[in-house]
Amino acid sequence: MSARPLARVRVLDFGLLTAGANTSAMLADLGADVIKIESGAYLDPFRVVGKPDNEDGWWNRSPQFRFTNRNKRGLALNLKDPEGQRIIRDLAKHCDVVVENFRRGVLDRAGLGYKDLSAANPRLVFAAISSQGDTGPERMNVSFGSTLDATSGIASLTGYEGEEPRISGMDVNYPDQIVSLFATGIVITAVMEARRTGQGAFLDFSQREVASFTLGEEILAASADPARPSGRRGNREEGVSQQDAYRCRDGRWIAVTLDTLDAALETFCAGHDSATAVAALLARGIAAAVCNDGSDLLRDTALQGVTLARDGRGGLVKGLPYRLGGKGIDIERAGPDLGQHTSEVLRELLGYDDAQLKKLAEAGVTSTTPAIGEV
Amino acid sequence: MAATDDLPLQRFTIIEVNDAKVPLCLRLATSLAAKIAADLGANVLKIEPPGGDPVRREPPLLPQGESALFQFLNTSKRSLVLDLESGAGRATLADLLDKADAVLFEEPAPVAALLRASRATPVEIAAFPAGMDAAARPVSEFTILALGGLLHMVGEPERKPLRLGGHQASYAAGLTAFTGLAAALAARDAGQTAPDVRVSLAEVMQWVNWKAASGADASGISPGREGKFSEFQIVPCRDGHVAVVYTATQWPATRDLFGDPRLGDPKFATRAGRRLHIAKLYEIISPWFAGRTRTEIQKTAQAKGVPFGPIFSPAELLQTEQYVARSFLANMDHPTLGALRLPQLPVQWNGRSFAPRPAPALASELTA
Repeated sequence: MSARPLARVRVLDFGLLTAGANTSAMLADLGADVIKIESGAYLDPFRVVGKPDNEDGWWNRSPQFRFTNRNKRGLALNLKDPEGQRIIRDLAKHCDVVVENFRRGVLDRAGLGYKDLSAANPRLVFAAISSQGDTGPERMNVSFGSTLDATSGIASLTGYEGEEPRISGMDVNYPDQIVSLFATGIVITAVMEARRTGQGAFLDFSQREVASFTLGEEILAASADPARPSGRRGNREEGVSQQDAYRCRDGRWIAVTLDTLDAALETFCAGHDSATAVAALLARGIAAAVCNDGSDLLRDTALQGVTLARDGRGGLVKGLPYRLGGKGIDIERAGPDLGQHTSEVLRELLGYDDAQLKKLAEAGVTSTTPAIGEV
Repeated sequence: MAATDDLPLQRFTIIEVNDAKVPLCLRLATSLAAKIAADLGANVLKIEPPGGDPVRREPPLLPQGESALFQFLNTSKRSLVLDLESGAGRATLADLLDKADAVLFEEPAPVAALLRASRATPVEIAAFPAGMDAAARPVSEFTILALGGLLHMVGEPERKPLRLGGHQASYAAGLTAFTGLAAALAARDAGQTAPDVRVSLAEVMQWVNWKAASGADASGISPGREGKFSEFQIVPCRDGHVAVVYTATQWPATRDLFGDPRLGDPKFATRAGRRLHIAKLYEIISPWFAGRTRTEIQKTAQAKGVPFGPIFSPAELLQTEQYVARSFLANMDHPTLGALRLPQLPVQWNGRSFAPRPAPALASELTA
């Protein structure tokens, strides 16, 4: 097997939830060795929001956590402890990339910001992913998923005709999903530059800007013509003759896009089952599709492509958004238990021995159980 | 025009091949991926069919009649018209491919075999997964949203499902294709064999919508649109709308914003209770919003760490204090269209932004 594009790249991953943790997951997909850092006092919130029960070990069973953190190694180090902070600075010397999406200032206060870590390792590419970016009057603003649907402009263009705006909601959190698709490519570009020049970079990503970037032509058109009408148009689209969702006889909705108007379409759909209606429309050269839900996606393995995979425990996890070299993903490790690889990584990279590791555990610098129940 | 000699991708040459006949939703993805590379300094050559890329005529249009969509998606590129149905056109393309690092194109392109056989790494954009045997199936961005399950997630449960605003299916695929392209360039740069990249809009939408699959797998029931039953709703205020968003741990701070003793009722104390009594909850809090502006609401909520989201239109974003402070919106001087204002790449690299250069005019000869 040929080397993968990011073989020999190591990532120190402070990423949480989707925006950060998934960026480092995509780097792992490309062959990077990703070391995820948590602490007993601060778990990745996905361990908590997705917990299936309150039995012992609940923090290792969240499907959302497992979906996002496969193919990573996991360390638990107390970042508020000076010894924990010193270990991170030592680890940074052995890493090429840092990914973090803490609120601005959190890592700086722990002496683990870009200034501190790049002083230890000037080749470091440091990806800071935040709601509003690292500068500007709103840099400290908090957001949670759909806050950014609202503030980015996407919600203003989403909704039933003439009604109120809509957000993607907590089961999608759309702006969180797309940031890693962009940030990963920029991190790779910066790794290439660091290899060539010996100099790393501070990459400042604003999730809100990533979401607004997807409306580039709308913002450009509005700047040229402030009176340009904007707002909610249901499923219609400028330049498309007819486009909407129609309910079929079996109660299912289908999506249809037409180049020429067809006033009879609604009646046609109401009189046919969804599969029949879609087949008939496709045969006429018209774009049509059934509106799938999550259960449909699990069943349709051809449509799934490479987007889902199974880990070594048999659990369903996130696959790839693309195919590389014709292939999907091999899951080499399930998402790590809290602190599962602390000893392994400290031995391997920093040469710790049993006595040192025991001392760290006794001092509470390392751990495998949470100090909290909620986040 | 910004100097390109110190931009990160300036040593790479990339070709974007535009067939005249593919569905536009694929072209938008291809062009976005190549635009990002071009803004980062790559030498991107856009090969257009006679008559030009059809996106040149697509809305939204600028007052001068030119396409804002085309101008946004093709910044910092060069363009060359080639008739790829002619032997001469294909020979010219083959010569160009010999000097290129990567080539972006859509399935099913008539010249796909030529492109895949070149020494440039192929980055292919398709509608459906490889192996689905659906290359000829009629497709639109809207039907991709339906297949990927995203359409099912937005709207009222008893009413029709809704698409998200903007070209989300195409652009998410374009961002993905850029990352695949960057991975291929990194492999070439390190002297390795680069993997060819294939991106389908249908796979990207399912990947983005992973919580639907995860939720259905964990509980046997798919998540879906909740509309007025959702914890997070849109509430009218004095000058527009605000999205009410908060985490479970932020509920006490959220509750205290409103100062209404009725919210102290134990039925609102847990997430399950709030979901059960959601209509009553919104009935109590809505008047608080009605009397305030978006700015007042955001300032008050942020001061307590509550992430409410005021809703802004594209026109309003042009004036946003945060975007102005970060120079996120670039002023671009276009040779024929004059001053244009558009988003830059959403990253600052050591504090630096990447100013886009104007999209090319249709050209039948390559100029330096």
